[in-house]
Amino acid sequence: MIEHLPEAMSLAFSWHALLAVLAGSVVGVVVGVLPGLGSALGLVMVLPITFGLEPAAAIAVLVSVYACSIYGGSVSAILINVPGTPQSAATVIDGYPMAQQGKAALALGWATVGSFIGGMFSLVLLVLTAPQLAKFSLNFGPIETFALILFAMTTIAWVSHGSMVKGVLASLIGVFLGLVGPDQMTGQIRFDFDFFALSGGFALVPVLIGIFAMSEVLIQAAFLKDASAPTVIEGGFKLAPWHEWCIRWKTFLRSSVIGSFIGILPGTGATAAAFIAYADAKRNSPRTGNFGHGEPEGVVASETANNAVSGGAMIPMLALGIPGDGVTAIMMGALTIHGIVPGVRLFSDQPALVTSIFLLFFLANFLILIVGAAGAGLYARLLRAPMSLLMPAVALLSFVGAYATRSAPFDFTVAIVAGVVGFLLRLNGFPLAPIIIGFILGRPLEMSLRQGLVMTDQNFFAFALSPIAAVLFALTVVVLLHPVITKCISALRGNGSDSAKEMN
Amino acid sequence: MIKRIFGAALAATVIALPAVAEYPDKDIKLIVPYGAGGGTDTAARLIQPHLEKVLGSNLIVVNMPGAGGTIGATNFAQTKADGYTLAFLPAGTAVVQPHLRKLQYNESSFEPVCRTIQEPVAIMVGPESEYTTLDKLMAAAKAGKVSAAGSAPGSFPHIGAVLVQKNYDVKIKYVPHEGGAKSARSVLGGKVDMLVDNIGLAAKFGIKALAVLSDKRAKSMPDVPTIDELGGPPIRLSIWWGLFAPAGTSAAVLDKLASACAEAGTSSAYISSVKAANKTPNFLGAGKFKALFLEQYKANATLFQEIGLKKK
Repeated sequence: MIEHLPEAMSLAFSWHALLAVLAGSVVGVVVGVLPGLGSALGLVMVLPITFGLEPAAAIAVLVSVYACSIYGGSVSAILINVPGTPQSAATVIDGYPMAQQGKAALALGWATVGSFIGGMFSLVLLVLTAPQLAKFSLNFGPIETFALILFAMTTIAWVSHGSMVKGVLASLIGVFLGLVGPDQMTGQIRFDFDFFALSGGFALVPVLIGIFAMSEVLIQAAFLKDASAPTVIEGGFKLAPWHEWCIRWKTFLRSSVIGSFIGILPGTGATAAAFIAYADAKRNSPRTGNFGHGEPEGVVASETANNAVSGGAMIPMLALGIPGDGVTAIMMGALTIHGIVPGVRLFSDQPALVTSIFLLFFLANFLILIVGAAGAGLYARLLRAPMSLLMPAVALLSFVGAYATRSAPFDFTVAIVAGVVGFLLRLNGFPLAPIIIGFILGRPLEMSLRQGLVMTDQNFFAFALSPIAAVLFALTVVVLLHPVITKCISALRGNGSDSAKEMN
Repeated sequence: MIKRIFGAALAATVIALPAVAEYPDKDIKLIVPYGAGGGTDTAARLIQPHLEKVLGSNLIVVNMPGAGGTIGATNFAQTKADGYTLAFLPAGTAVVQPHLRKLQYNESSFEPVCRTIQEPVAIMVGPESEYTTLDKLMAAAKAGKVSAAGSAPGSFPHIGAVLVQKNYDVKIKYVPHEGGAKSARSVLGGKVDMLVDNIGLAAKFGIKALAVLSDKRAKSMPDVPTIDELGGPPIRLSIWWGLFAPAGTSAAVLDKLASACAEAGTSSAYISSVKAANKTPNFLGAGKFKALFLEQYKANATLFQEIGLKKK
């Protein structure tokens, strides 16, 4: 690694590449901030532009768009209650309440630094241990993946505010939506009702946009008294005092670890990682009761973890040629077209190039801080626009995003219907986050379960023979029983069970 | 009235003629029925800049993923045959999917323009697999101990596994996965024993090819014996990608596209970029490609009857 540093630096620190990182960061933050346009679309958009660039500059654009778009999603999640990207769906839960309390600038500060730390942590793992961790990730076959996704599903309990029953119901809606389309186990199409557009199933972005963005537009339209008045939320960028950081360092660390490992492992992805980190932070924080009401740790957990996924997901992508999710799949295709073929031979064949990818990724993470802090003033100005202008713009962008994912006009309908459904669910006190968790995890959960059953000749109990799966099953049980256990402990101690009550 | 219609028709011809003569005079849409970054998308984007150079027009890639490429292909089959919408289809979408379920397209919906890539299919195992030869693998399969990874039933890896099972009279446990990379992951990690898929995966993922399902060795991996050399049954399977125009495209436009593809698809710059991406360039011109397309389309109908994958 070190011996290739001079060559890698000459590749990465050329004017072209540096300009490309800067441009990519701006593009990344913009597609991240705008609801509907996310990491995947941002990468597809810049892909044709990279063809004209030398490989290092092309890599620079790709990694910076990737890293910065994940961060950008937090901005709209905090300021307008709409996650800019799927990865920031968990940021909404505490980010928007913070903004409503007039602490938007602080929330943006937490999110920016969290994104930076998460990204850097995962980069260090990528640089130091990529081949080893890539090898470790191969231990996750269908059975282990099933156990991991089952564990991830428990997060539904932690993001369901108000009513657990409603949270579970919402997640089932998500699971069902995820089941529409081709069944990969049999090749048959399910639940399409002979309607051709349904035969490909629902795409994540139109569903997410409908549920979060369109429903927010409808809520504002229905309940805002004076639409011409400027939004009350103050933008800007502010870092919390030092002691506030000190008491939350564990959340930064835990979320970085969770995000990186979820990135390395198959089956779940960045959106789920943010939810898992959120649930973990809520369980372990002394401020549990404040979660959901504007607790900075909620923002930190989600944003640290989703950026930590970026470096984690690049480990199997670069070292094995196996992308961890849809976004890294696009990155991999782009690299392949540039003659850089991720896979077992990349690290040994092109060590200088790999090192330059690391350097550029490092730069891209730094630019999150700079572009994030610099952009905050701009968002503040944007938010002075009256709701009657802001919300139609959100609706318009949402439609662009819904359509752009797969160029299907049907996805307009999906976004509108999902918006109305999301609106009705919100009116009735249903949490929205479980819908997204169910949607992204339901299908892989079913797939890995059925794959595992084929492998064990339909013997479910044989799943526990895998040590990794057994540990994950045990963790799942512990996490689900956690509220009960805490309650018992507090009861034994003879004091009130305030914290346990808050759990639901 | 008649005069007027005639006049209008004449005017239309006058306007249309130079348009054909100058084809292409605007951007061309290239439908790719899989998501950005996948194997089909990469194969399309490898030929795209070379075609643009020869045609002197932009080729805009439009990804329309879903349902084994059939969403994009169905949309493509219904577009105007004016040469400004083309598609880059993999064999699975073009000659396999219509046999598996009812679709709005068939062999007469498309005009094959050229094949750009063809991958020989090989039987592969993990790098640390105990089955170091085809004989050992088949002996274990005879005892019912072998599992195979691959995409959904009806995909090439599935057809390959079924053909091996049938010809060797063995029992193979088929574990469907979502795509080649995930199948390769399971084989790499030793979770599943074998994979019948394009041989490019062997180099890319560092898995071991035991036999090529062809009468000729693969140019990209000349060390791997053919199944014939190993004394096995003559199973033949290969996967290709090619450029298509909608049926009804005028001969002038088709000729122009065919010669453009011939120039782009055989250029040394294109060929070296394909090789760098671990794929096998194998150009086939319009006439021969059409014959191959129709022949495979027909053969698959019979094959699926035989292996019990009938249209639902």
